[in-house]
Amino acid sequence: MKRLFGTAAIVAVMATAGTASAFECKRSEASMEKPGGFPERALTMIVPYGPAGGSGQVAAAMAEAVTELTGIPINRDHKPGGSGTVGMTAYMAAPADGYNVLEHIDDASSAHALDSSLPNPATDLIPLVTSQVTFSQIYIRTNETRYTDWPSFVEWVKAQDGKATIANVSKEGSMERVTMKFITDASGMSIQQISFDKGAPRYGALLGGQVDALFEQPGDVRNFLDANQFKPILTIFDERPDAFADTPTHREMGMDFDPLLRFRGFYVHADAPADRVEWLKWAFQRGYCEDSYHAFNESKFMTVIDSYRDTDGAKDLIMRSIDQYREVYKAMGLDVK
Amino acid sequence: MIENFIAGTTALFGDPFTIGIFVFGVIGGMLFGAIPGVSMLTLAAILLPFTAGLEPAQGVMLFAVIYCTGTYGGAITAILFNIPGSPENAPTAFDGYPMTQKGQSGKAVGAAVLCSAIGGVASALVMMAATEPLANWAIRNIGPPEIFALVFFGLAVASSVGARTIWKGWMSVLIGLLIATIGQDPVGGINRYNFGLTDLAAGIAFVPAILGFFAVSEIFVQAEKTASGKYKAPKVSMTFPSFLELWMHKIAVLRSIIVGFLCGILPGIGATLAAFMSYGEAVRWSKNKDEFGKGKMEGVISAETANNAATGAAMIPLLALGLPGGALTAMMVAVFQMHDLQPGPLVFMLSPDLIWIVFAAMFYANLSILLIGLLETKTILNLLKIPFQFLAPLILMLATTGAYISRGLVLDVMVMFLAGILGYLLRRSGFSIPGIVLGLILGKIGEQNFAQGMQMVHYDLATYFSRPICSILILAGVLTLGSSIYRAFATAK
Repeated sequence: MKRLFGTAAIVAVMATAGTASAFECKRSEASMEKPGGFPERALTMIVPYGPAGGSGQVAAAMAEAVTELTGIPINRDHKPGGSGTVGMTAYMAAPADGYNVLEHIDDASSAHALDSSLPNPATDLIPLVTSQVTFSQIYIRTNETRYTDWPSFVEWVKAQDGKATIANVSKEGSMERVTMKFITDASGMSIQQISFDKGAPRYGALLGGQVDALFEQPGDVRNFLDANQFKPILTIFDERPDAFADTPTHREMGMDFDPLLRFRGFYVHADAPADRVEWLKWAFQRGYCEDSYHAFNESKFMTVIDSYRDTDGAKDLIMRSIDQYREVYKAMGLDVK
Repeated sequence: MIENFIAGTTALFGDPFTIGIFVFGVIGGMLFGAIPGVSMLTLAAILLPFTAGLEPAQGVMLFAVIYCTGTYGGAITAILFNIPGSPENAPTAFDGYPMTQKGQSGKAVGAAVLCSAIGGVASALVMMAATEPLANWAIRNIGPPEIFALVFFGLAVASSVGARTIWKGWMSVLIGLLIATIGQDPVGGINRYNFGLTDLAAGIAFVPAILGFFAVSEIFVQAEKTASGKYKAPKVSMTFPSFLELWMHKIAVLRSIIVGFLCGILPGIGATLAAFMSYGEAVRWSKNKDEFGKGKMEGVISAETANNAATGAAMIPLLALGLPGGALTAMMVAVFQMHDLQPGPLVFMLSPDLIWIVFAAMFYANLSILLIGLLETKTILNLLKIPFQFLAPLILMLATTGAYISRGLVLDVMVMFLAGILGYLLRRSGFSIPGIVLGLILGKIGEQNFAQGMQMVHYDLATYFSRPICSILILAGVLTLGSSIYRAFATAK
């Protein structure tokens, strides 16, 4: 019970500290006149992933917030598959009338970096808002005895001669695989990456001792952190977020690379009518400020660092990510088109 | 445990609003489970935002109830019209529909109702008794190599189901495995056989493929019979299986509960694998393997017992460890989170009332399957009286809608009709549709786990076999495979 109270208290402090430092509503206008009566019916939000995952949940939370704010219903149309390409293709084929919006993650940027014939989210689309930005961490089991922190983990991994394992989503060109390449190159260790495309088997693999470590974002493993089952040993971010003040960053551990961030946001066609786009920007940026959305982001550790980017901020984030991915892909010898 | 169960029952039935939510979940799950394409997941996704306004226990309980009854719902259309409501009901159609054609629809539906209830209640009881130790055992001992071995073990008997010869049975399974490779590979994300079509990068979805192979090919078969004057409408039978008939299958029921439970407890696996594996085990242990796929009640019993047994089991890793077993249990995580709760070890300590209301609701939801199932069955069986010329377009319309609605892709409708045509031609040549579907579904799960397993053992097969559960299952699979090949040669002589 004492441990339980301690864990809960730590989590509460972490959440509060993050909230205080990172949540800020940056769109002040509480209302905006509808341009020419738009929208006069429900919007459709294409979501390239299933309803239960991170994208499905952020889409539901933002749809709810925008509907609360504007009274306009949003129908979510999930088109999972192909690492987000199925949903993106369906969206590009949908009418560019402002009634169709898209939820997507940084996978769209990395996909474009690898194959420029795929849509560039910053130029072929207009980002309405990026509402979740987060960093990655390396986790081990809290009751692990073979290593307890990053230096002892690296030492142990090196001693295994390439036989140590880490669970992640290591599809070719993914943020996870690229970041792991940065880490292994910088730390001089070799580790076998095991690719799990679903969260549950990935987390179960670490819990059950099937793998030695896990690469993940903190919001996705919050319940394991709350339950004191997982422990972060490395934060892949330029500075220690308050919520993880005891966990060293990759730079502190001598790894000099720019961290790749996971981000989720909302988009509209670049050729949608400009006045409608402006209204949508207002609705989604202001939706970020709604209490319900704020509570959702807080529950996902998405207030630990600044999760908000307006249109220009989102474009900047996307373009920088694309440049970074492209450089890395070339260095990895991938066929960059 | 008894005290907690009584407390959960009292809380569940002590409040009229909670009772209303329970009844809504029972009926809604059955209805949405029965309509192809519009699965219980659709209902759950629609309801998800509304659960924010409910008490946490009511919200989680509603989803748990939908999970139980939705898993059963698809059995009825699978048996009567060869249209499985969802992939976990596909093995029910293997023998359920042939039973309907033989005028035994009442027996098939009765067996499905009863065995769904038995499987669900049994797993709910085990769930109540031993959630935490079972969850911990499963994640420590079952990893990707063991799941691949389980799939291999299951596929080893697939050739015996429904084909004219064992060789054609194997060809059917291999066709299914080949179709399963379409789309991105599960580890590297490399596109395979998508011919430049983005939509195919996601692979062949189960729902349109199953609707095509079962429902559409069946329409073609019956249309051919009608055109040649050989069509005979299935006799409507209201005869339920007798107690003696069901008692004779007690071993099958017990085995299916165990198989269903073991598959359900694995994170990310769930009821579909449970139903297919259980059907495979029924074939493996039967002295009359050739009767499967031709209207054997044991096939219906095995599939329906196991898929409902998986529901209670899937709650175990969810509640004890916070690991959802499938899409619906993943949505339950969202329900927990909406109320500032996290499933996992803490929830047992912080919210024991919630846990026991959910446990009690799942127990009673499975009992409700029996009650409502038996009440609705006699009405539903009358649908078979609709003449074929009206029934066929109705089924095609329903199947087309079901294929399209799950992902909103025209490609899925095309896949359904192509699967229908392919299925019709292959059936005429003595190939097995159940074999193809087994290959397709188990192939996807098996390939992913094989690749993950190989990464875990550093591509060293010797290490693979050093894992005891894995090596036992693979050895048993090889023996089954060997005996199947031996029988094929012996038959040929």
